[in-house]
Amino acid sequence: MNTSSLRSTAALVSLLAIAACSSKGGDPARQYGADPYLPEPHEYLLPPMSVPKAVDWKAGETPTVSAGLTVEALATGLEHPRTLYTLPNGDVLVVESNSPGTEPFRPKDFIAGKVKARAGAGAKGGNRITLLREADGDGKPALRTVFIDHLYSPYGIVLVGDTLYVANTDAILAFHYVPGQTQITSPGVKLADLPAGPIDHHWTKSMTASADGSKLYVGVGSNSNITENGMAVEEGRAAIYEVDRLNGAKRIFASGTRNPTGVAFEPQTHQLFAVVNERDEIGPDLVPDYLTSIQQGGFYGWPYSYWGSHVDVRVHPQRPDLVAQAIKPDYGLSSHVAPLSLLFSEGQHLSPAFANGAFISEHGSWDRSPLNGYQVIFVSFVDGRPVGKPTPVVTGFLGKDNETVHGRPVGLALDRSGSLLIADDVGNTVWRVSATQAGT
Amino acid sequence: MLAQKPYGKFVSSGDPQGELMPSAIVHSHPRTLLHRDFISAGGVLLIAAFGADYTYYATALWQWANFAAWLITAGLIVTLVAVPLLLIDFMTGRAGRLNSRSFMLVAAAAFLSLVNAFVHSRDAWSSVVPQGILLSAVSAILLIIAGARGWSLAHSRANRDRP
Repeated sequence: MNTSSLRSTAALVSLLAIAACSSKGGDPARQYGADPYLPEPHEYLLPPMSVPKAVDWKAGETPTVSAGLTVEALATGLEHPRTLYTLPNGDVLVVESNSPGTEPFRPKDFIAGKVKARAGAGAKGGNRITLLREADGDGKPALRTVFIDHLYSPYGIVLVGDTLYVANTDAILAFHYVPGQTQITSPGVKLADLPAGPIDHHWTKSMTASADGSKLYVGVGSNSNITENGMAVEEGRAAIYEVDRLNGAKRIFASGTRNPTGVAFEPQTHQLFAVVNERDEIGPDLVPDYLTSIQQGGFYGWPYSYWGSHVDVRVHPQRPDLVAQAIKPDYGLSSHVAPLSLLFSEGQHLSPAFANGAFISEHGSWDRSPLNGYQVIFVSFVDGRPVGKPTPVVTGFLGKDNETVHGRPVGLALDRSGSLLIADDVGNTVWRVSATQAGT
Repeated sequence: MLAQKPYGKFVSSGDPQGELMPSAIVHSHPRTLLHRDFISAGGVLLIAAFGADYTYYATALWQWANFAAWLITAGLIVTLVAVPLLLIDFMTGRAGRLNSRSFMLVAAAAFLSLVNAFVHSRDAWSSVVPQGILLSAVSAILLIIAGARGWSLAHSRANRDRP
C-alpha cells in the first residue's frame, strides 16, 4: 500500500510538474507589431504561472528610466491608485480604486484569490479621487485633498467643459467642476448605467471623450476569461460603448474586445484607439494583448476567436459566422503584458523620440513564465498608425530576480509641464518621469 | 459439546454458539469499519460529478460544469477523510486484511478524480469536453464497482477469522 501510494503520488507530482513547466514563454519581441507569432494553443492541468511577491519600495528606490530621463515620486501612500488625469489648471487627479470584489464561484476562484493577494493586487481601493496640486519648482505637491469621495470602483475620468465625468464600475457620474476647485462634495448626477454585477469580472470602465466633447467612449470588459461564467452574463460586455454626453443614450460602438482597459483618440487623425487585454490559459505566448484602432461596428473576436479568425475551442457553441467577421488588431504588444493605460504624446516633452506616438502602461500578470510587461513602453506612430517595435521607457518595477514586485504601472497622464505621470497600484505611488535638466 | 478429535482440531457438536473458540467470541460481532461510510459518501459525490458533466455536455449550461467542479472537489475531500480512518481501522483491530481489489478501484478513481479536478479548473467547454467527462465517466464506473463490492477497503477482523 505504501509503495503504490508513493508511486501514484510521484506520478501525480511529475504530471503536475510537466504541466507547470513544460511551457516557458518565448521572446516577446516575436509578438510585437502587426503580424505577431502565434503558437498552437495548449491547455494545461496547471497553467504556467509565476507569481512575484509584492514587496514595498524601499526609501529612495524608484523604477528605472531610459537615458535622458529622471524619475521621482510625486505622491506616496495612496490607496491603490489606478487612473491619472490632469486638469487644465495643472491639478492632477488620482483615481484610487480596485475591484468591487467578487464571490468565489468555483474551487479555482479560492486559489486565484490567494495568487492576487500575494502579488499585491488584492488591496482595497480608496473608492475616491485625490487631488494633487504642485507648487512651482520643488516638484512636490503643495496641496493634497480628497477631491471626490465615496465612489464605487471608479476608473475612467474625463473633463468636458465644466463637467467632470467619472466612470464608476456601474455608472457614469457627472460632477459640476469649477476651475481651481479642490473638493467636490455634491453627489454626482448619473448620466448612464454601465454593465456591472453580477460577477463584474473585468470591472474597470476606461473612458475618454471625442474631440468635440459630444460623445463619451467607455471600455467595458468581459465577465469572464472565456465565457466560463455562461453567455448570459456576457450580454453587453467585452465592448466599447458610445454614450451621448447630453442625454446619456448609449450604444455599443464596437464589440469582441475582451477587456478594453484604455481608450484614447489619436490626436492627428482623431481616430479612436484602445488597448485590449486578451484571453488567458492557452499558453504563455497566447494571446497577444493588443493596441488597435476601433472601427465603428467592428467585431474583434472575443470570445469566439482571437487575432482575427483563430478559433478558441473553449467556447461552445461556436459561431463561425462571427469568426468570419472578426477584425485583426493593428498592433501586438506580446502576451500577458496587461496593457492598462493608453496615452498619446502631444509633441516632444520628454525626448524627441517620444514626439509622435503612444505611451502604454503594462501592468503585468502572473499568467506567464517568465513574467512579461511590468513596464511603460512607447509605440511610435506614423500617419496615425502604430509602427516599429515598442521602446521601453520605464522599467524596474520587478525585483532583479523576478521573484518580487515593487510596483505595477497603471494610469498614465502628462502633467502641465509635459512630464509623464505613472500611477503604481502596488507601490501606492504616483511617479513623475521628466527630461533630465541640463547640469543635473 | 465440543469433542476433540484425535488429530487435535475442534469440530462442531451441532451447537452454533459452540462453533467458536472463546477467544474468537470477542470478535464475533464485527465492529463498524470507520472508513467505509466516507468512501461511500465521497464515491457518490464523484459519481454524481459524472452526471453533472453529462448534463453540461448535453445542455452547455455553464452551471453544470460548475456543479461538477464542486462535486469533484467535495468528493476528493470526503474520500481523503477516509484515509486516516482506514489506518485507525487497522490499528484498532477493526479491520483485518486489506481488500486489495476494492482498494485499487477506489485509489484509481481518486487519482483520476484528482487529475480531473485540474481539468475542471480550465475554463468553459474544454473544462469538461472531452477529457473531463471521460475522466469522470471512468471514475464513476470504478466507483460503482467498488460500491457493488460494499465500499469497504478492508475485510473486517471477524470476516477474516471465519474459516
